[in-house]
Amino acid sequence: MMRQRALARATLIATVAMGSRLGAQALAPKVLPTPPERTYTIAVASEGTDEISIITFGPSGATIQARVPIGLSATDPDGPHGLAVSPDRQFYYVSTAHGTPYGSFWKLRANDNTVVGRVMLGNFPATAQITPEGHLAFVVNFNLHGDMVASDVSVVGVDDMVELTRIPTCTMPHGSRLNAQGTKHYSACMMDDMLVEIDVATLAVSRHFQLTKGKEMGMAGAPMVLASAGTHDMSGHGMTAPAAGDPACSPTWAQPSADGTKVYVACNKTSDIVEIDAASWTMLRRFPAGAGVYNLAATRDGTKLIATNKRGQSVSIIELPSGRELARIPTQRRVVHGAAVSGDDRYVFITVEGIGSEPGTLEIIDLRTLKTVATVDVGQMAGGVDVIR
Amino acid sequence: MSRPTSVAALLMFIPFIAGAQTTAQPATTPVGPAIASLQILPRDRSMTARDTMRLRARALDAQGNEVPNAVIRFSRAGGFFEGTIENDGLVRSGSTGTLPIVVSATILGRPPVIERLEVKMLPGAAHHIAVTTAVSTLAIGQRMRYLATAYDSGNDRRDDRVLWTSSNPRVLTVSRDGLAVAVAPGAAKLIATAGTVTKDVPVTVAARRIVALDVTPASADARTGDVIRFAAKPMDAAGKAIDGLTPIWSFSPGQGMIGADGGFVGYEQGTYTITASFGAQSAEATVTLTARDVRRPLEVVGRSPKKRFTTEEVWLHPNGKVAYLGSGSGGDLFYTLDISNPANPIVSDSMVLNTRRVNDLMTNAEGTILVNTREGASDRKNGIVISSLADPLHPVKIAEFTEGMTAGVHSAFVYTQPKFGTHVYATNDGTGAFHIIDITDPYKPKQVGEWRTPRPDAGRSLHDVDVQDGLAYLSYWNDGLIILDIGNGIKGGSPSNPVIVSQYKYDLNDLYRQVELAGGSGFIRGTHTAWRHKNYVFIADEVFPSSGVQGAKDASAGRAYGRLQVIDVSDYANPKSVAFYEPEFGGVHNIWIAGDTLYMGAYNAGFRTFDISGELRGDLRAQQREMAHLNTADMDGFVKNAAMTWGVVVRDGLAYVNDMYNGLWIVRMKPKRGITP
Repeated sequence: MMRQRALARATLIATVAMGSRLGAQALAPKVLPTPPERTYTIAVASEGTDEISIITFGPSGATIQARVPIGLSATDPDGPHGLAVSPDRQFYYVSTAHGTPYGSFWKLRANDNTVVGRVMLGNFPATAQITPEGHLAFVVNFNLHGDMVASDVSVVGVDDMVELTRIPTCTMPHGSRLNAQGTKHYSACMMDDMLVEIDVATLAVSRHFQLTKGKEMGMAGAPMVLASAGTHDMSGHGMTAPAAGDPACSPTWAQPSADGTKVYVACNKTSDIVEIDAASWTMLRRFPAGAGVYNLAATRDGTKLIATNKRGQSVSIIELPSGRELARIPTQRRVVHGAAVSGDDRYVFITVEGIGSEPGTLEIIDLRTLKTVATVDVGQMAGGVDVIR
Repeated sequence: MSRPTSVAALLMFIPFIAGAQTTAQPATTPVGPAIASLQILPRDRSMTARDTMRLRARALDAQGNEVPNAVIRFSRAGGFFEGTIENDGLVRSGSTGTLPIVVSATILGRPPVIERLEVKMLPGAAHHIAVTTAVSTLAIGQRMRYLATAYDSGNDRRDDRVLWTSSNPRVLTVSRDGLAVAVAPGAAKLIATAGTVTKDVPVTVAARRIVALDVTPASADARTGDVIRFAAKPMDAAGKAIDGLTPIWSFSPGQGMIGADGGFVGYEQGTYTITASFGAQSAEATVTLTARDVRRPLEVVGRSPKKRFTTEEVWLHPNGKVAYLGSGSGGDLFYTLDISNPANPIVSDSMVLNTRRVNDLMTNAEGTILVNTREGASDRKNGIVISSLADPLHPVKIAEFTEGMTAGVHSAFVYTQPKFGTHVYATNDGTGAFHIIDITDPYKPKQVGEWRTPRPDAGRSLHDVDVQDGLAYLSYWNDGLIILDIGNGIKGGSPSNPVIVSQYKYDLNDLYRQVELAGGSGFIRGTHTAWRHKNYVFIADEVFPSSGVQGAKDASAGRAYGRLQVIDVSDYANPKSVAFYEPEFGGVHNIWIAGDTLYMGAYNAGFRTFDISGELRGDLRAQQREMAHLNTADMDGFVKNAAMTWGVVVRDGLAYVNDMYNGLWIVRMKPKRGITP
């Protein structure tokens, strides 16, 4: 499809299914009888179709309001992956993974989906988040593409959309989050079994943490990372089950607690979550999660941790601080990806990539009833998700 | 809701519930004075190319005092091929050019203060001079412009004005700008000077005066686009030829071109006068050109529309009865079509794979295996898939190879060399590397070689591969055309040890300046495909603007651009562009050459064919070499009523044309009108 180019406005559609391209595979919208009391607006990035879906979810259900094409190349994949909304809700930002070969970070105005800025970053820019005061973005350069070499985290000044610095961290830096105070940035090192902490004040790595089961240890300073020798295997990006007894964590997400005192790390291979005390930089415990736990999100009230289970085709709702799994909710399609919690902690919005030509899906879970209350099909390979309003 | 509504309008009706939306607040309150400005030293931001320079910066408050807790960072904001800068301000120049830099000062919780600057990386002192006018003998009275350029020790071109003097003005005078006039018989040196560097150009002024001049052929009849080589024969009073002299060539009227070698090509029918000049002596020849008249009608023989996904590469089984068709834009399959009756192509099978794009597919020469590429796989392993064609109508997957190709493979070429076996030559979307995978045992593919252009990762992108006679022709985007020996022997290369033979690189930004003017900076452009034919390599660029037409949508919002160039590689050490084609609207994508005909998928410009017989020079479109055009738009398509012609495979007089928007077309070029086949 010759997509409407980057600076153009979105084509708007008002139906749930994403037009004829989804054909017979499109699922019918499902709205369960606990409608929300207000309308939420969610943005979802579809890596397979180079578009952002803007979805509203309200008393009348979930509806796609706009499909926003993103990317530079009309004929080659750009791969929108990470998505982050500015704290003032005026803008949203999207990382696109592919380029020649470097990817980009885009800024779009939320009220009309117009691109207002772009900056080229590193190899496969992925998870992104904006600092609480809204001036900086932290974007991990996942570097899934090539040699297993140490990569970095880009810091972008989003007012001017310029890259201020790149902070070297580790091999395949992945799911990352800032603490609520905006003072620390945590990213998972998928191939190095490590968690890396960046001090936002100094824009430098302050600590790192070894996550391999049985060898957990917090350390000061930046990790010494060597190029991984010999293999490019990345466990099917979280889809391949580990060998029996493999102690490797293969961390895919780092999520600080609401108060910033703890950091939760999703271990995709061992299918458990490591809880780290942010002050003492020691492990408090590991608690089990679903198969291939992948992304995490936390409610702002500190009572729940939401985990997507990539291999398990489900979402776990975990009670904090107990670590008890309150519910494991199956998803309709496979390859469960991202999670974003509404500002009022009422709902969590889950993206599901699907496989092949299956559409991506946004599944909406009511965090009170712990039930899926709506689903909506979006473009293929739905990944990055955030709540605009 | 049944009709489109603007997002802005919708959002107006979304009730804002105070308190329902958590507004994040920075828990840290900035302390101390705010940053008012940056002081960056040195103020002179120029440096010698390939050297280093240290930039330093201080954050100052409104009173000019240094802000102690500011974090200063230096970052590159462009010039990714020319240099680097460390976080601490150390600039490492890699070449001449301009390095845009962002200097930032941040304090936690406050907006960063940013200053942009540019470091000019200039050539070093003049080191040598290259003279480009290769004329060493002049006739008395002849005028000749000598051109020269100064370079530094790294062979970077300098902007010095090269000044000329003559060692013997009684024999040869020269202006400061290099216009030489042969005055009298004898020897002289023209001396080119740039700074402290000089270059001597020995010139002999022939003793014998030219009293007669012949141009041969004196007349010629040809067609537009034919290259006619003229020779000048100056003679003395005795009627003897004076060897070694070079005239200045010109022609009139009309459109065309003539080179220093006397090769002329005219674009329009009519009579041209060709002139060779040696100062006061000149001679003419006459050329009469008739219209090329190669235009031929087309016939659409068969059609297989595709609407569910975009259509990607088409490939034919060697038996000519089976076609394979890729899918994209979320397409997770390729189709197998029975084309034994081209008027009625029938989908006989399809293979669903873990992918969201099958961009390329190709069989081996024997037709026993099929290789297809993958991009967008859900496990992100991508790579290539190998299928058995024991039954060509029903491929069966037998193996895949993904190691190191997780970002996806855009193009793959299957090629067998008796000495080395069968290999897949593949592109890596993520690293821009060229991978060589041994599939002699197709069940056990293994990588045996890898090659990449010696440049920083930024900007390295490999789009397509063509292999012929043991030479791989790589369309290397920013790096232009690269020719590798992968078994030919010209450079001792092999599949496991590719060796570079040649490179043809050109200024894409300059070539497509109008695309940047239309759609803004950051547009897509690069060397996209290559095809060797005789002593030429045909290369085509893929070009898209960075933004569409404001207010337009769907097919109206954008278009492709691009140019096909004909590169003469008869001398591998000096490849040169000799001819080109550029559509008025649309682009140039994949090509196929059979006999003297070039077939092209030209994106928005549809399907086109060209007569490429004889020597090629100049503008192929202007000289009327285009033979046929089909607008492959169809209401029955993924995108309706718009052409996006991808490429073509030619077999037995039929062109199998794939259109990205609407599937497969089977087209025959019919004889010229008035000729009964």
